[in-house]
Amino acid sequence: MANQSSTRKEDLVNKLKTRFPEAIKSSKIEGKRRITITFDKDKLLDIAQFMRDELGFDHVKGVAGVDDPTHKKIEVLYFTGSLSIPEIEDIILVLQTELARDNPTIASAVSVWESAHFHERETFEMFGVKFEGHPDLRKLLTLDNWDGPPPMLKDIKFPEMGQR
Amino acid sequence: MTTNLDQTKPPAPPITITAAKEPSTLDVSVGPQHPGSGHMRIIIRVDGDYIVSVDPDIGYVHRGCEKIAEYRTAVSNIPHLERPCIIDAIHLNWGYVLPIQELQGVVVPPRGQYISTIAAEMNRIMSHLYWLAINAGVFSGHTTIFMYAFGDRDLFIELAEMLTGARLTYSFLPPGGPRRDLPAEFQHRLLQLLGYFEKRLVEYDRIFLSNPLVIARAKGVGILKREEAIKLGLTGPVLRGSGVKYDVRKVEPYGAYADLDFEIPTFEEGDSYARFLVRFEEMKESIKIIRQALEKMPKGPIARKAPLIIPEGEAIGRVESSRGELTYMVKGDNSDKPSRVKIMNGSFRSLIAFPYLLRKVHVADMPIIYGSLDYWPLEADR
Amino acid sequence: MMGPRLDPERFGLQAVAGSLRQCDLLIVEGTVTKKMAKRLKIVYEQMAKPRYVVAMGDCACSGGLFHDSYSIVNDVHKLFPVDVYIPGCPPRPEALLSAMLKLREKIRREEVFA
Repeated sequence: MANQSSTRKEDLVNKLKTRFPEAIKSSKIEGKRRITITFDKDKLLDIAQFMRDELGFDHVKGVAGVDDPTHKKIEVLYFTGSLSIPEIEDIILVLQTELARDNPTIASAVSVWESAHFHERETFEMFGVKFEGHPDLRKLLTLDNWDGPPPMLKDIKFPEMGQR
Repeated sequence: MTTNLDQTKPPAPPITITAAKEPSTLDVSVGPQHPGSGHMRIIIRVDGDYIVSVDPDIGYVHRGCEKIAEYRTAVSNIPHLERPCIIDAIHLNWGYVLPIQELQGVVVPPRGQYISTIAAEMNRIMSHLYWLAINAGVFSGHTTIFMYAFGDRDLFIELAEMLTGARLTYSFLPPGGPRRDLPAEFQHRLLQLLGYFEKRLVEYDRIFLSNPLVIARAKGVGILKREEAIKLGLTGPVLRGSGVKYDVRKVEPYGAYADLDFEIPTFEEGDSYARFLVRFEEMKESIKIIRQALEKMPKGPIARKAPLIIPEGEAIGRVESSRGELTYMVKGDNSDKPSRVKIMNGSFRSLIAFPYLLRKVHVADMPIIYGSLDYWPLEADR
Repeated sequence: MMGPRLDPERFGLQAVAGSLRQCDLLIVEGTVTKKMAKRLKIVYEQMAKPRYVVAMGDCACSGGLFHDSYSIVNDVHKLFPVDVYIPGCPPRPEALLSAMLKLREKIRREEVFA
């Protein structure tokens, strides 16, 4: 069973690497069911279309932003999975990319994966990442007239936090 | 390999929830004050008796859990990370400690896994009883099932108090294993309660599921086809009610589920009644799982001592909570506080089903569809 | 507490799922966020006098476990006067019933021109 699962995952990674040799920067396989792929942010829509049509990853479980002020970048992670193909339905494939911290923009994946709609709205609001092409990019969770900075960035310490 | 999603047509236009308004329509705001389930607002655009489009407006209970998680140590994060869905607290707790245990290299002994499994399945029954009482009962006007289900849920809460010391918010699973072993009388009383509860489920079937009024309101309403459910990324009983057999307990077994024998109830129709039936059958499966786990319980220690520091790295862990697949990503940087905790839960993922299902339906169908999706606003807002 | 075990109806309490204007008691349970505080004030204003407020849970009394979050209101008593505070996270149903009885005592002791 271990042989079968490791060849499945390497199979997927090799297919992505042969199709996009320069856009895929690195890949990592961990444990039995996790693959992490770091890619160049300009090729998001092509990679996403290939993954949905050829490999069978048809939905997005979540979109996370990770702030890294020491290296001046914000990372955006897409957690994708497959529900229609039983052989790979237990793998989580994480697509990871880096954006510049002072102007984070990336194309929106909603035209390929419609399940990313509300996740991208939340990442826009919490980290300030602009998703170009998103049909309805507005604030979702914070106050109606919140004009403060995006709350999840690391150098924003709300004065009350951490005091006991 | 190509998928069987429809690719010959051009992709459907994205959801235009805030499209221009026609003069014959009226915007009505449902909420934000919902005493039964938590505060959320849906702005529905009605044309006579038909709903034309819907705009969910959430965030009324957003407490900033992910930001607070970076300011507390790994273990003192557990109480406030299990509060989003307070009726399902064991699953929210377990999903959080699974990536931390992976990063620290701690393996829970078998007896601890079995105890966690029993507590998790009891919690699933409690959460589904709450759903039956409020979301399926009160929202559709059936207050008898509210009284029945709440009364039975109280018996399970008493047993949980015997096991963990608290009624609803247990904080039962720190990294390394459960806090307490099974008390002396626990097994006998739990088996007694399960025998009583099985007979009650037959009564629930008679007064609620086979009730002609409920059948008339729920059958054929809010149909979600299989391809749509996959494309929208839904999870949990909503997905299994549309014919996709996917459950994290079988796909990525954690706890004691690999040794236990149980089924995944799946129904093909995709309407609200199918989603009601999925949760009902899941309660019966939970009874089976608890009985097997009590029989096969191994002896030995229940927990290992875990370090207080999260090593550097990133790990993902997931469990099957009552509302779907609950995924946590924890990133550590060699200190006792996690540097990033990301929560992806079933309620937030089913938010996209609202604009899809609530189109061209009567206004009176809206509570049934909302109740069948089992949307918990506190969990979605975190 | 509203279930069959403790049965609040025998004490004269019933949850009304209808118009707010008929209610006499507002129970604030759980955390109050800044986005919800505006609507909570509107709900309080809509109730007809005499009206009473009970703050249930640690989060409603003083912020509780989430006291240092950026989006919650720590002091609900600045929005409207609170009659009974119930600590606990979450409070036991017997505590809620005892608070209802204390509220009845308080109402009985009230004078007309208080």
